[in-house]
Amino acid sequence: MIIQTRNLTKRFGDFTAVDRLSIQVERGKIFAFLGANGSGKSTTIRMLIGLLRPTEGTVEVDGVDVIHHPRRVRDRIGYMGQKVSLYQGLSIRENAEFYAGLYGLAGADLERRWGALRERFSLADTEQEKPEDLPAGIRQRAGLALSTLHAPRLLFLDEPTAGVDVRSRALFWELIQDEAAAGVTVFVTTHFLEETDYCDWVCFIDEGRLIADAAPEELRRRYSGGYRVALEGAPAPRDRIGQLFPGGQIESTPAGLRLVLPTLEPAALAALDRLVAEQSGLRVHIEQPPMNEVFRRVLGERATTGGAA
Amino acid sequence: MSWRRLRTLLRREMLATYRDPFTMTILVAVPLVALLLFGFVLSTKVKHMALGVHDASDSPASRRLVADLAAGGTFDPRPFATREALERALVSGKISTALVIPPDFARDFGRASGDLAPGSARPEVQVLYDGGEATLAGNAEAFLRSLVSATGAALVETPPRGPKRGTGVDVVTSALFNPTLDGVPFMVSGTFGFVLSFLTTLITAVSIVNERQAGTFDQLQVTPATAVEILLGKILPLGAVFAMDVVLMMVIGGLVLGVWPQGNVLFFVSVSAFYVLVSLALGLIFSATSATAAEAVQKTVLFSIPLVQLSGFAFPIRNMPTIVRWLTELLPATHYIRLSRAIYLRGAGPLTLLPELGFLVLFGVILIGYALRTIEARG
Repeated sequence: MIIQTRNLTKRFGDFTAVDRLSIQVERGKIFAFLGANGSGKSTTIRMLIGLLRPTEGTVEVDGVDVIHHPRRVRDRIGYMGQKVSLYQGLSIRENAEFYAGLYGLAGADLERRWGALRERFSLADTEQEKPEDLPAGIRQRAGLALSTLHAPRLLFLDEPTAGVDVRSRALFWELIQDEAAAGVTVFVTTHFLEETDYCDWVCFIDEGRLIADAAPEELRRRYSGGYRVALEGAPAPRDRIGQLFPGGQIESTPAGLRLVLPTLEPAALAALDRLVAEQSGLRVHIEQPPMNEVFRRVLGERATTGGAA
Repeated sequence: MSWRRLRTLLRREMLATYRDPFTMTILVAVPLVALLLFGFVLSTKVKHMALGVHDASDSPASRRLVADLAAGGTFDPRPFATREALERALVSGKISTALVIPPDFARDFGRASGDLAPGSARPEVQVLYDGGEATLAGNAEAFLRSLVSATGAALVETPPRGPKRGTGVDVVTSALFNPTLDGVPFMVSGTFGFVLSFLTTLITAVSIVNERQAGTFDQLQVTPATAVEILLGKILPLGAVFAMDVVLMMVIGGLVLGVWPQGNVLFFVSVSAFYVLVSLALGLIFSATSATAAEAVQKTVLFSIPLVQLSGFAFPIRNMPTIVRWLTELLPATHYIRLSRAIYLRGAGPLTLLPELGFLVLFGVILIGYALRTIEARG
């Protein structure tokens, strides 16, 4: 575990922003930290990187007690805040030189590192521009490039895709996934629920409390109506379907049948393949339950039971 | 403390400051405008001031007095035939100071020079002035007193005998008085204190809070940069600009206002540069403890009001009530202004100024230490 918190709590006066939060993040994974505005996401991230002192609880990041030794992890973590922290009035290149200097990166090392990032993040055309003259999508990309300049093991991204258009968001997530593929652990907060599908693990907090903590598939299984598989274009025998998908429910629709599956495991996909091979002309359309639905249910369950999932 | 990190921080702050035309204009224009403004306009020097004179005595003695007053160039006496006309001129604002010489002025002089029983009338003149212009009128009045008493002493041939009789004016006071009333060197040397206190604090007051709002301060704090490096990175580049301001103000003050420092220039610049760092640190404290730039600016302005009143920049501290006098000692500016005046006006050296220098260092340690704490603080 590269991040581990136990009963992490932050109170501002009477207001409890983060309430006894215990989370664990596995090395090399993309960890999504979800919640509405004001749910305690940023407060948590600030405690994890040593910008904020918790009221109670413990935090361990890459083996370091961040509460007592916040400086010890600074070489190993990269951070991009909600406001992308580029200095206005300085070009992207000058910003890069500035942050590199603070991490002791200069000369040929800087050239090599920045050269590679510039290519990967498509910043070659804009590196002489100042951030205030650039669109949000490029600024965000440049911000991510700068926070990975010193090759951190752990990246903290606070709402990195807020205010960015859809195309830039997709591009941005590709870059984040590249980082994870290279072995970097990514801790990312977002309020775009559909973005959790880019992630390996999802934590959902509400009013400072952890209310869901699982892989996205697991959340779908537990908190949604399941995958809806429309079978149309050719009559499909109900019995055969029942045989192939023992956990599924079969419903009739005007155009044919609808099969509802709690999860979409490899076995279920193989069974669908077989069905299509057996019934020529059968069209299959799989509808993934949207994360919005999942979280509506998570919240709904919390409202009725008051407990954590 | 890493030299490479500090250099990186310095470079960025310099780029940001020197590339910003607005900040640079303020950094150069405000000190010069303040210097010339305080030097010329607010100067306490009295020159060609209209002085209404109603000479009811019309005697050789009274005419001599009026002629002496006119000779100095400080006053332009304007005769008024009646006391009523004189008072009307005062009310309408045509004159702000007036002198009334009573009919028995000459007779009293005659007596004062001869043997006189104690308690009988001494020669008297009446000075009227517009209390609304307190500072100027007060200075004029004091000057007028000294002139009148000087003329009086000259008119009285025999020095008065007996205890404290004299000519009706306390001559001891006028001996202490700056005879030319020249306030320019006083104001020029004080302006350094005003500019280096107010402008420094104002410039740094917005610096951290702006960075915090832009998010770059958080970013800075998760890098390996230490609080000392961040602090020095902020105050050294601005300190350099202000050190140049000090030199610029010295040169302009000398060339335009004719006031050159009496003491060692290098000593003065060094003391000023140190004071600038202390004052910049104070601005950083305002900045680091404010949520918005507006709040930081308000703190600076609120702090700067007593700065003008209490630092001795404009009003003499020795006339203040004891408690207020103690308060003034708590302002670093008070000590710097004392130092700058001592070096500028009296040519004082480090040895005579050790106590004041000690105070300044003490403030430096406290404020820079506290600024470091606020920069490091985690909520």
